[in-house]
Formats: sequence, C-alpha cells, structure tokens
Amino acid sequence: MKKIILLFSFLSVAGVTSSKLIGQCDPENFSNTCIPKLSTGFNFLKSYKIDGEGGAKEKVEYSYVFTKGTQYMINICATGTATDGIVVSLFDSGRNKVASSKFNGQFLGAIAYPCNATGIYYIQYTFDGSTAKCGGSALGFKR
Amino acid sequence: MAMRILLVVFVAVILVACGSGKKPDEKAFLESLDSAKNLGPTIDQEVINSVLQQIPSPLEISVLLKESGTKYDQALLNSPDNLSTYNSNYKKALNLGIYGTDLGYTNIFEQNQDGIKYLAAIKSLADGLNIGQFFDIETIGRLVSNSKNLDSLLLITTQNFNSINAYLQNQGRANLSVLLLSGGWVEAMHITCQVATKDSKNKQLRETIGEQKIILEQIVLLLSFYKDSDENMASLLKDMDTLKGAFDKINIIYTYKESTMQVIDGVAVIKDNSTTTIQITEEDVANIKALTNTIRNKIIG
Repeated sequence: MKKIILLFSFLSVAGVTSSKLIGQCDPENFSNTCIPKLSTGFNFLKSYKIDGEGGAKEKVEYSYVFTKGTQYMINICATGTATDGIVVSLFDSGRNKVASSKFNGQFLGAIAYPCNATGIYYIQYTFDGSTAKCGGSALGFKR
Repeated sequence: MAMRILLVVFVAVILVACGSGKKPDEKAFLESLDSAKNLGPTIDQEVINSVLQQIPSPLEISVLLKESGTKYDQALLNSPDNLSTYNSNYKKALNLGIYGTDLGYTNIFEQNQDGIKYLAAIKSLADGLNIGQFFDIETIGRLVSNSKNLDSLLLITTQNFNSINAYLQNQGRANLSVLLLSGGWVEAMHITCQVATKDSKNKQLRETIGEQKIILEQIVLLLSFYKDSDENMASLLKDMDTLKGAFDKINIIYTYKESTMQVIDGVAVIKDNSTTTIQITEEDVANIKALTNTIRNKIIG
C-alpha cells in the first residue's frame, strides 16, 4: 500500500511538471530568429507567433493593412532547417487567396509580395504534415 | 510516515499546479498598474487586439516620403519641448505615438541630432506610463549617433514599440495602445498632408492620403469600443468621426485578379494582378488636411 501511495505521488508531481515541458511551444524564440532572416533591404514591421497548441488549432491568423506600391516579405522559422510543414497563405479582404508559401508540393521559407492593391490582408499559417506545429514568422517591407 | 510523505507530495503538487510563476516583485508591480486601468470596454479583448495589429507602421509613410524626393522638414514635427505639458495618461499615450512617428521620420532622413531629442521625449513619456523598461536608451542612443547603424536603429525602435503594444494588451491596458497608435497615425497623416499640399502634382502622395480611409475606419472602430467608458476617448472619437466624414467622399475601387507566382532563390515571389484605384481630389486633400490639423493641435497643445 505504502509503495502504491508513493508511486502515485511521484507520478502526480512528474505529470504536472513534465506537462509544462513536454510539447511546450516557444514561438517567440522562432519569430525572433526570423527577423534577421528577412532579405536585405526589407525593414522589419511585425513578428508573429505560430502556435498550433499541439494540434488543437488548425490555423493561426493575423491581419495587416498592406499598401499599394510597397513590397512585403513574410518568412517562416520552425524546428530544423525547413519550415516543418508550416505554410503561410495571404488572403485579401474578400478572402481571395493571393499568395502561398506552398508551391507545387514544395514548402518555401518565405513569400515576397509586391502589393498592387491597398487593403486589409489576412496572414494565415496552417500545418501541412507539421510535427511540432510550432514556429515563428516576421513581416518586413520595402519600397 | 506514508501519510506524511503523501501530504508533503500533495502540497508540492498543489503549489506547482497553482503557481502563477510570477515573482512577488513582478506581482506587486502588475497590481500597481491596476490603478492605471480604466473601466474598459465591454467588447472582447481579443477582438480589440486583432484590430490593433492591423494598423500599419507610420514608418512606411516616412519611407514613402523620403523616396518621393521630399526634403526633411523639422517644422512639420511636434517639438520635444512640448513634453512638459503632457500630464495625463491620455495625453502621454497619444503624444508617445506622435513622437514615435517623429522619431521614425528623423531616423529615415538620418537626422540624428533631432532623433536624440525625440528619443529622450519618448523615454520620458514611456516612463510616465510605466512602460519605460522597453526602451534601452543607451543602445538606441549609440545607434542614433552613427548613421551607418540606420537598419539596426529602425529595427530596435520598431521592436520596442511592438513590445510596448504587446505588453499593454497583455496587461489589459489596450486603451493606451489604441491611443498610441492613433497618435502615431495622426502625425503621419499631418506630415503627409503638409507635404502633399506643397507638392500638389504628386499623385502618389494624394493616393496615400486617400488610402488612409481604410486605416481610419479601423481607428474609429477601436475608439468606439471605449466611448462609454472613457470620456477623453469618446471626444477623440467624435473628432475622428468628423474626419471620417471627409474620407467618405473618397472612393477606393478594388479589382481582384488572380495572382501568379514564381520561385526565386527559395522565395515565393508573387505577381499581384489585383489593383486599387483611389479617387481623391485636391479639395478632398485640403479638407482632410484642415481636419487633421485641428485634431493634432488638440493632441499636442
């Protein structure tokens, strides 16, 4: 009986503490990594956290007003060298898809978008075979 | 003995499970901020945050002004000497936004000496709002003193303002974030309108003013969330609504056409085939300029 109680107590402590560590996503770290990776000439605007909460979220979405005549770049940083299946897609205010970082089955690390129409755009991150469902992203601009 | 061990373990589990992870000092500091909170809007905080993040950086306009060949004009900016007159949180937050835009403008035009003055004013206002910890004045000061550091300077100042906005939103003080962004936008509008009036044939500047209709609609929406809980913000909303009336005359015609893309050096490079046409007259610009000036004078005065 004593052993069972001790085992139960140990598992309780281990369970609570490990739940804080296992599967913990640190998107801020990834987005900070992404900022210096914006191509030369782009000025940093925003960093975005991509946390799929271990699969609880299918997508993470932000929005921003893009201006005609300005070129924007959005990149992705995740565990490992590639994007870990994270795809960034851009939608206009009418929810028409105008850009995606997945092209012909290839996962690309960034999109460059020379905006020709001012308006609110939706920056959507989805997970396509992603293992960690965790990453970061940066938005930059140049004229 | 077993019961004693169980009790100790149980207490440990409860402490780990319920602990906020905040140190006592941090907790005390956060509690002290409660006095700066207003009653707050009834709308969900997440809705406010999602609208706030849409507002573009005034830096984009400063870059546009420089690239259109405009010369630096210090007279267009709010003097840092006005700092001492900003005593309420409302005025501090609005003018933090105004000075933020002015700092971006001086940075883009590489006017380092003016930049240092704005930096000091920003630090002072930020300290007054308990958000001064986000400005590493020594690092920024060092960057300002050397024009070769422009990229780093722009990066660090943008990061500082982003951190401030994120912090205010997390602390339930998004009202100050709304004011900060509103002030920054008003100043960018003021500078653009002044320049556009002097260079009336510059179609791009005129269109830039017209495009601000989209952003003003978001600012008006944000202010409307606070109209019943904050009389200063209600008053600002009234002025912004009047300005919105002038913008309502401007037509933005959007034509969607599917974009195309190609891969260059591992980057998806998009060709945007959609267009917007901005219909704005010189009279509209003059009207918007006058109304913006009135609002700005109330803010900086």
